[in-house]
Amino acid sequence: MESYFDTISKAVESGDDKQVAKTAREALAGGVAALNILEKGLVPGIQALGKLFKDGQVYLPEVLISCRAMGLGVEELRPYLSDANIHNKGTIVLGTVAGDLHDIGKNLTKLMLECGGFNVKDLGVDVSAESFVTAAREYNADIVGMSALLTMTMTYMPEVVKALGVAGLRDNVRVMIGGAPISREYADEIGADGFAADCASAVDEATRLMGIG
Amino acid sequence: MSISSRERFLGICRFERPGDLFLMTPYFHDFWARTLEEWVRQGAPQQIVDNRFRGTYFQLDHIRMLREISLGTFMDRRIDIGGAAYVYEIPPIVPCYETEFISQDEHTVTLVNEGGQKVRVSKDNPEKMPTYLDHPVKDRPSWEEYKKRLNPDTPERWPSDWGDYVQKMNNRDEPIMLNVGGLFGFVREWMGLESLLYMFHDDPGLVEDMMDQISYLEVEVVKRVVKNIRVDCAMFWEDMAFKTGPLISPAMFEKFMVPRYRKLTDILHGNGIDVVFVDSDGNLNELIPLWLKAGINGYWPLECAAANDAVALRRKYGKDVILAGNIDKRALLKGRDAIREEVMSKVPFLLESGGYFPSVDHLVPPDVTLENYRCFINTLRELAGLGALPE
Repeated sequence: MESYFDTISKAVESGDDKQVAKTAREALAGGVAALNILEKGLVPGIQALGKLFKDGQVYLPEVLISCRAMGLGVEELRPYLSDANIHNKGTIVLGTVAGDLHDIGKNLTKLMLECGGFNVKDLGVDVSAESFVTAAREYNADIVGMSALLTMTMTYMPEVVKALGVAGLRDNVRVMIGGAPISREYADEIGADGFAADCASAVDEATRLMGIG
Repeated sequence: MSISSRERFLGICRFERPGDLFLMTPYFHDFWARTLEEWVRQGAPQQIVDNRFRGTYFQLDHIRMLREISLGTFMDRRIDIGGAAYVYEIPPIVPCYETEFISQDEHTVTLVNEGGQKVRVSKDNPEKMPTYLDHPVKDRPSWEEYKKRLNPDTPERWPSDWGDYVQKMNNRDEPIMLNVGGLFGFVREWMGLESLLYMFHDDPGLVEDMMDQISYLEVEVVKRVVKNIRVDCAMFWEDMAFKTGPLISPAMFEKFMVPRYRKLTDILHGNGIDVVFVDSDGNLNELIPLWLKAGINGYWPLECAAANDAVALRRKYGKDVILAGNIDKRALLKGRDAIREEVMSKVPFLLESGGYFPSVDHLVPPDVTLENYRCFINTLRELAGLGALPE
């Protein structure tokens, strides 16, 4: 059983999607519980990859193919798991703020957060404060994540923080921000709870905000 | 004896003119169109939208880019979106794609631009980066079609009267910049970032083929240009980093890019062009030694929010690198004290060291006021022992 987990973990880390899917099928056929395959094979693999990324040992292409491999593995397991099993770390409402149509960084962050075990509701680009509030309420979000590319549009972020407060959601919903002009200081200044400089650290930051890191 | 603008520029690049303030425009001092519109509302003359007028108004130093040759990228494509312009740049394809309007809603217009990219553009401010929905190159068959637009000999790529153009350019007193283009940057524009990043693993041969074709185009055009025109510097355009580092690994950069860069930089260096810039947003710290290895020695904009530090780079690389930018645009949003603090923390050392062109760390955004930009220029002028701009 351990060899299944090890093979899957290493294959996720190296982005070998075919190996991940094949070994996951073999493990299931051999009677290994899907949840065990997820938690002891797929998740350690993507966590190892995330650490390598943060340490500068691998780069975005490797992150993308590892996430793809993880996704394929999850698809093999999906008939045997609930969504709550797969995305058990919390729900994040994610979007690029109003006035900003840039989505590349936000999309990569979504990918990493999903691989990291979060349930991500992607609101897309040009998202108004009202839409963030509505989605946070509808999905019972734990975190609202906002992205902005420009100095002109990052100034919309405090409006969202304020709107969440007015809606009475700030006791239960943490706010995390990121994007080219964003810094930890800016996050503190506008009353956001978290800041991520890149997509891999977004997983760490979200985990920290959930108090499960 | 008076010294020409060109001699000053090259003197600074070669560390022979410590303290000389050269505020290069266009490129290093460049502006979003909306910035200029805002400044007119704040009291600037209407003519400030004109590059030449603006240069004189702020006493900037002009360079001449060889825009008429289709090789690099220029922010010169415009599509009217409800009275404002969607201004964008595309790789040097000839012919371009036909612009096609697909749909619109209250806030956005979806269209195919001249680069063949399907984009969703903001109606309120079409200058903002659009959402990219689709790209012209998806696989080998679409690449085979696309590459037909990358022929160096297509007549439309060149000014119609080459002899006249050469003479005019060679008679200018200003530095001449050849926009060479890029490798990663162009392929990303053709495929989209995510598709390209997957492709480095899924079909590296296709990435190599695309980079071969673009470097062939660039080599052939550069050879013809430098044979005829007195070029002072070259500029690559890549935008291949994000906030914390490069978009691909140093190993990939070495494999895919260094040899192809060298084909170009060997020609440039062989023709006396030893000032070779690259324009890339994001954190460049891991890329600079690789670009140096490839023969590229100048860097702009050195974005502060992406942890680029020109002072540290000067200390680390000495006279091996030419630096431009690195003045935090966010300081220009804040006002006089923040601007002064930002400038004084970097520019005195960098200017005295030489090989530095001060500018904001990207285009000047619309939320920087005219007053704050003038304050920035005047602080630089004060450092260089020059009087303030006229009121």
